[in-house]
Amino acid sequence: MPTDRASIMGIFSTEEQTASAIRGLRNTAFKLERVHSPIPSHTIADALKLPKSKVGWFTLAGGITGFFTGFLFAAFTATRWSLIVGGKPIVALVPFVIVGFEFTILFAVIGNVLGLISQARLPRFETADLYDPRFTGHKFGILASCSTGEKSGLRHFFEAKGAEIKTDDDLKEPAGKTVRGGRTT
Amino acid sequence: MNTNVPSSSPSRSALPVALCSLLTAAGLVAFVSQAVGENAARAWQSYLVSFLLFSAIAHGAVLFSTLMHVVRARWSGPLASLAEAFTSFFPVSLILFFVLFIGQKHLFPWIGHDLHGKEAWLNVPFLFSRDMVGLLLLYGLGMAYLYHALWLKRGGQSSGGPLSQWLGRRWRGHPPERERYQRRATVLAMLYMFVFAVVLSLLGYDLVMSMDPHWYSTLFGAYSFVKAIYVGFGALIITAAVLHMSRRSAFTLESSQFHDIGKLFFAFGLVWADFFYAQFVVIWYGNISEETAYVIERTMTAPWNVLAWTVLAICFIGPFLILINKRIKTIPAAMIVICSVVIVGMWLEHFLLLGPVFHHHVETLPLSWIDPAVAIGFLGLLMAAVLFYLRQFPMALQNRLEDHR
Repeated sequence: MPTDRASIMGIFSTEEQTASAIRGLRNTAFKLERVHSPIPSHTIADALKLPKSKVGWFTLAGGITGFFTGFLFAAFTATRWSLIVGGKPIVALVPFVIVGFEFTILFAVIGNVLGLISQARLPRFETADLYDPRFTGHKFGILASCSTGEKSGLRHFFEAKGAEIKTDDDLKEPAGKTVRGGRTT
Repeated sequence: MNTNVPSSSPSRSALPVALCSLLTAAGLVAFVSQAVGENAARAWQSYLVSFLLFSAIAHGAVLFSTLMHVVRARWSGPLASLAEAFTSFFPVSLILFFVLFIGQKHLFPWIGHDLHGKEAWLNVPFLFSRDMVGLLLLYGLGMAYLYHALWLKRGGQSSGGPLSQWLGRRWRGHPPERERYQRRATVLAMLYMFVFAVVLSLLGYDLVMSMDPHWYSTLFGAYSFVKAIYVGFGALIITAAVLHMSRRSAFTLESSQFHDIGKLFFAFGLVWADFFYAQFVVIWYGNISEETAYVIERTMTAPWNVLAWTVLAICFIGPFLILINKRIKTIPAAMIVICSVVIVGMWLEHFLLLGPVFHHHVETLPLSWIDPAVAIGFLGLLMAAVLFYLRQFPMALQNRLEDHR
C-alpha cells in the first residue's frame, strides 16, 4: 500500500450498522478494503454487491469430470477381465451409470472444496492487518482506506455510523509499514 | 409486506369461478357421455389416471405445509399458508374415490381371474375398504392439522367467508392455549407425513400396480409417494407464481422464496428419478421374466417406448438441466411453464403405467380426446376447491412480516 494512504478499521456491534456503513461508503471517496463478520450474513453480502461466486463452476466441472471418470473407470476395470456375468454385457450401461453417478457426487464435492479454497485464497497464514479477535466473536469490522489527508473524514464517517475506531496509530506501529505484515494482535 | 387486498369488480372476480365451472362441466360432460355409452371402459380408465394425479397433487402440496411446520422453517410462511389451501380438495377427492367403485368392472382386469393365491388381498370389497380407511385417515389428519395451523396463524380473526367467521367465533368463545395447539399441530403434521407415505404406497399398489396382478415391485409404493411430493410441490409453485403475478392478489413472494421452493422441486425431481432407477436396476440385474416383462413392454416395445422416453425427458432430463440454473428458479413465469410440463409428464406417466394393461396389442398410442377432457374436468375441480378455500380464508394470501423473516 502506498504510504500516502491510511487505513482505518471501523468496529461495529450490529449487522445493520455494518451493512449501512458499507452502503454509505459507496457514496464517498473512501475505498472499502475488507469486511469481517462473525456470522454468515445475507444483509452484509447484499450490501457488498459482490460479483457472483465462481465456486459453482468448479462444482459443475468436478461433477462432469466425475461422471466420465467413474463410468470409464468401471468400464476399464470390466474390460481387464472380460467376464460375462449373468449374460450381461461386459460394459453394461445400467450399473455403470450408478458408478458414474457416485463419482459425480464425489468429484463435485472435491471440485466445490477446491473452488472454495482457491476463490477464498486459502490458506492464509498471516493475520490480516488491523484484525481484531472480536471479529470471530460478536463484532463486525470494516476496513476502509483513504488518502492521508482525508483520514479524519473517514474517522468521522465511521463514528457517525456508530463504530469503534481502530487505526495503525493504535497499534503503535511506525507509519508506512507494509499491510500484509506478520502481526498478530 | 403488503396487507391491502386490492378491490376488484364483481365481474372480474367471477371470472375464475366461471373458468373452474366451465372446465369441470366440460370434463363431466365428456366423462358421463362416454361412461354411459360404448366407450365406458375408456372413460373410467381416464378417470382413474386423473384421480390418481390430482389427488396426489393435493396430498403432496399439503405435505409441504406439514413438513415446514415440523422443521420449524421460517422462510416458507406464505407458501405454507397457500399449500394448506389444497386440503380443500380432500373431501372432493374422497367423493371421487367412491365414484371409482361404480366403474370397478372396467378398471380391475383381475376381477374374475385366477390370481394364484392373491385373492385374499386382491378382491374388490377389501381393496375399497382398506383404501377408503386409508384415505379417511389421511384426510382426517390433514383437516385436523389445518384446523390447528389456521388458529396458530390467524387466531380469532373472523374476516373472510362463513367458514372462516364460524371458526373465528368458535375460537373467540373458547380461546385455545397456544402451546397446546402448537404441540398438537406438530404431532398431527408428523402423523400426516407418516400416513401420507403409507396410504400413497397403498394407493400405488392397489390402483396402479395391481392392474398387472402378476408383476410386483416392492419399491413401487415409495415411488408413488415421492411422485406425489414432486407434483404437489410443482402445483404449489404454479399457484404461488400465478398469485404473485396477478395484480389483483396481495400475495407476493421474495425471489429468494421462489428460489428455495424451486430448489426443493428440483431435489424431488431427482428423488423421483432415483426411485425409478432403484426399481429399474434391480429388475435389470435379476432379469426374471415375471419382472422384466412389465418394464420391457413399457420401455422397449412400440408404441409405449416413445411415451416412456417422453416422460423421462420432460419429467427429469429437461427439468434437471434447466433447474441447475439459479436465476430461472426465481422467474415465476418460467417456473409455471416448467412445473406445468412436469405435471403433464406425470399425467402421461400414469397413462404409461396403466395403458398397456387396458390397451393390448396397439400400434399407435391409444390417447384420445377423452383423456385430456377428463383431466381438464379434474383440473377444474382442483382449481375450484383451492379457490373456495382462498375465498373462505383470504388471510392465506396476506403476507405478514414474520413470514419474510
